[in-house]
Amino acid sequence: MSKNLLLRENNMSNEQILTQQFELGDEIGPLVIRATDVDVTNFCNLWGNEPPNRFTSIEVAKEAGLAEPIVPGIMSMALVAKLFNLCGGSQIIDDLDVVFRAAVPHNSDLHVTATVTDTRDEDGKNVLECDILMTGPEGQRYVIGTAVVSNKARS
Amino acid sequence: MELKLEYDKSLYGVEHEAGPFEVTEELIKRYCIATDETNKIFIDSEEAKKAGFSGLVAPPTMCTMFVRHVKLPDIKLNFGKNRFHAGQRVSTRLPIIAGDFLNASSHLKEVYPKTGRSGTMVFIVWETTFTNQEGQIVADVQESFATRE
Repeated sequence: MSKNLLLRENNMSNEQILTQQFELGDEIGPLVIRATDVDVTNFCNLWGNEPPNRFTSIEVAKEAGLAEPIVPGIMSMALVAKLFNLCGGSQIIDDLDVVFRAAVPHNSDLHVTATVTDTRDEDGKNVLECDILMTGPEGQRYVIGTAVVSNKARS
Repeated sequence: MELKLEYDKSLYGVEHEAGPFEVTEELIKRYCIATDETNKIFIDSEEAKKAGFSGLVAPPTMCTMFVRHVKLPDIKLNFGKNRFHAGQRVSTRLPIIAGDFLNASSHLKEVYPKTGRSGTMVFIVWETTFTNQEGQIVADVQESFATRE
């Protein structure tokens, strides 16, 4: 049984699970997700970058030098943020910094993991720093980055 | 030999503004559907209130969608042909809640070269600060674009 599931049984809040129980070197995830053609189209419409564009149309993508339509960078970032729902809730993200190493394809399994690189108490909050990685089914590195998460105060 | 970059340096210190952008429950819910967000405070306003928020909460990356609506000038960089989105950063300050109105203010943060195995690239970084209707800073977003020769 994964550490995430074990910790849930102790009736801790999601934020407590993440920020109090994870230690240096622990891995969060993996989250396996897909961005389908429909998801990307819905995102583009919401974003104001209405189709057809290089994210939704194979013709426009090829004109832009791409082999196929790709997932928008800011959508990939949103999918990375979703990882923290696994055990902490992504409302606890203080900072998320990602680099797009390769174009992210539609309709393909995307594996998102985070590795804890630092833990500390800061002004009464439990803070975790993590390295982030999004890869494809054959280990292709699509997105790398860092995240700082903590149990935040409420508004 | 150090690469000499020529571009419109007068853009430093100039703010480009846009907004206000209304954060509605519908917008938040549509964003969650598109990104498969399932955290209850993002999809159920009663759950958000039970968790101590004043209303439905926007996922922390949602404000990045509004950056596109800021009209950013061409910096007239004398390098490269193809430009691509290299990176993104979100630093959250306060929760963004349904009913908020956000204003965006963007400026050119830096332009710098980097040489690696695939050659030299130049990075252009824009930073956008989002404030709510109370004038409080809710998030900072950095977008990095790279260009190759």
